[in-house]
Amino acid sequence: MTSATETVPTSGRGSLIGARMREAGWGYAFVLVPMAVFGLFFIYPLVYGIYISFFEWGILGKAAGSTAGLENYQTLYHDQVFHRAMRNTFEYALLVVPLEMALGLLLALVINARIRGRAFFRSALYVPSIVSSVAITTIAIFILNPDGLLNKIIGSDQAWFGDADTALYSVVGLNAWTTAGTVMLFYLAALQSIPTDVYEAAAVDGTSRWRTFWRITFPLLKPAHFFVLVVFGIGALKVFDQFYIVSRGTGGPEYSTLSAVFYIYQEAFGSADFGVGASAGVVLFVAIFLLTLIQRATVGRAEIG
Amino acid sequence: MRRARAAVAATVVLALLTVIVAAAADARSNKATVTNITLSGWSAGKTEDDLLQSVVNDFNSTHPNIHVDYSVINGAYDVAMTARFAAHNPPDVFYVDSSLAPTWIKQGVIEPLNPYIAKSKYDTTKFYPGLLNAFKVGKNYYGFPKDWSPLAVEINKSMFAKAGIKKAPRTWAELTAAAQKLASSGAVPGGKPLCLPADWARMLAFVFQNKGSLAKVQSPAVAAAVNYYVGFFKKGLAATPTQLGVGWPGEALGKEKAAIIFEGNWLLPYMKSTFPQVGFGVGPMVKGKVNGNLGFTVSYSMAKDSKNKQAAWTLLSWLTGKVGMSKWMSLGLALPSRSDVKAVGGRAPFLAAGPSSKGWGFPNFSATLTIMNNDLQGVIDGNKTTAQMLADVNASLKG
Repeated sequence: MTSATETVPTSGRGSLIGARMREAGWGYAFVLVPMAVFGLFFIYPLVYGIYISFFEWGILGKAAGSTAGLENYQTLYHDQVFHRAMRNTFEYALLVVPLEMALGLLLALVINARIRGRAFFRSALYVPSIVSSVAITTIAIFILNPDGLLNKIIGSDQAWFGDADTALYSVVGLNAWTTAGTVMLFYLAALQSIPTDVYEAAAVDGTSRWRTFWRITFPLLKPAHFFVLVVFGIGALKVFDQFYIVSRGTGGPEYSTLSAVFYIYQEAFGSADFGVGASAGVVLFVAIFLLTLIQRATVGRAEIG
Repeated sequence: MRRARAAVAATVVLALLTVIVAAAADARSNKATVTNITLSGWSAGKTEDDLLQSVVNDFNSTHPNIHVDYSVINGAYDVAMTARFAAHNPPDVFYVDSSLAPTWIKQGVIEPLNPYIAKSKYDTTKFYPGLLNAFKVGKNYYGFPKDWSPLAVEINKSMFAKAGIKKAPRTWAELTAAAQKLASSGAVPGGKPLCLPADWARMLAFVFQNKGSLAKVQSPAVAAAVNYYVGFFKKGLAATPTQLGVGWPGEALGKEKAAIIFEGNWLLPYMKSTFPQVGFGVGPMVKGKVNGNLGFTVSYSMAKDSKNKQAAWTLLSWLTGKVGMSKWMSLGLALPSRSDVKAVGGRAPFLAAGPSSKGWGFPNFSATLTIMNNDLQGVIDGNKTTAQMLADVNASLKG
């Protein structure tokens, strides 16, 4: 009897541990497949890319006699074209992200207001975000041509994508417009999660709309600001297709549309120098990672709702 | 009686089995003698794809021991081929653009052809040397040009008539004079006499005409040729396609925004299909101190990883031989790279450049071309000097 009373709790603990183990086992089993996919297609290429960046690496793999070293990074350090590509990329990101945020927030505020045809405007404003970037860039080339619609309206003959002084800014404008719809959706979700009682309190106090926006709405959107800043900032630093299309694969005029990813693509697939391409990729990865940490420290955490 | 019937039935079954086994063995032995190889290239349109398929069909019917599967690689050809080289699974025979040849040869993915040439006594002397050299490193051949096109002078006939110019310019002096006449007579309203791209794929021809070369790119001869080319912009006689709001010089000629351009054989079908109403003439490329031109050419080459190299050589040598190339030229889509194969009519201004053309390609091609063309735009815009550009190009060529 004693032994029986002693074994019951032991057996209860055991079954509890067993149940927890089983539960954990199921949990791991469920995440196994996605983790395997993540490991195979993200972690492994990332680690392998870092490995490649220390070698002279061609189409058929490591060059004969190549030993691990920092030669590829030295090449990047001395390569003026890479410096220009990085400068263009950061300049582009610094311009396009705030513009996307401002435009997206403005659209979200308009859509969030009780206006007629709200659903229609929400869909209409989102359309540019779902159209293929190749198609939309091609149309933009026609519109911004010296003979194009924009010049016809403003009475100019400016080659917007063909002039080194305007090409980068033209792509900034184009991409801010096409992605503003997506940014709008994130801000709209965040706006709708702000409790109405704070607005009611502000109204009771007789606070103006302008003051309400800057003192209540804008600060309460802080998680959305951070989310958009990080996600779209990373996207901007990876810009490739629009630059490639408007310059017809040249990065011109005068290197003005040469981006970091464009440089990586050219080194890897144009020059078959995968070592230099990989090292440029690592530099870009580190830059994005550091920027994200800085944004996290200064703006806040990425949570919406 | 029953035993006899059983014996007959067994004999019949045995005989049938023997026939089936023998037929299967024969089929297997027949199959074993046919070597399957693959041929790949990019698509240049359905007409060209169909023509190549019919040429391949001819090869298959005349070579019963080899079966060629022709497959088009769509999309980015260089990227797709890079992936296939890396996977050690390339087509046996494939297109190599002269601009890509130095990179792929250096990477060791193309089979040198010298042993096959020696063994089959293949005659390489019929190819235009400038085109053949685009696929040659040292004494090793890495492919034979399947066809090519040089640059020629294309003019708008009515604009020339309006300016009182009777024929397409043949020399640098005539070109300058023609451009000035076209400008002063206002023969090109809303455009420029010349449409010149900020592209060394056009300017390098002028470098060769001035006895310049990429081997000595920081030389007075190259600088003078660059200044001649850029001088047209400085004098207001030329504009880039972008400045004219077109995609390429051919479109500028078609939209009558330029009276003189320098393009290749590919312009003829484009003008016929897109701008049939525009009267244009074609003359041989202008001459500087010497004749000089660029040969835009593509080779048939063999993969180092090919598992059927002898069969691949048979195909490659047939396609680039007199018989195969003659069939390929039948529709007039391209120019023959062999002097013993005739082109269809109306290609004389292009063919004249055969002996003086050099293949378009150089070491570190992709990165160097980016520097070349971006710097050239800078020189045209006045933001860079010719000397700075040539120094950058020299460094990249050696890089």
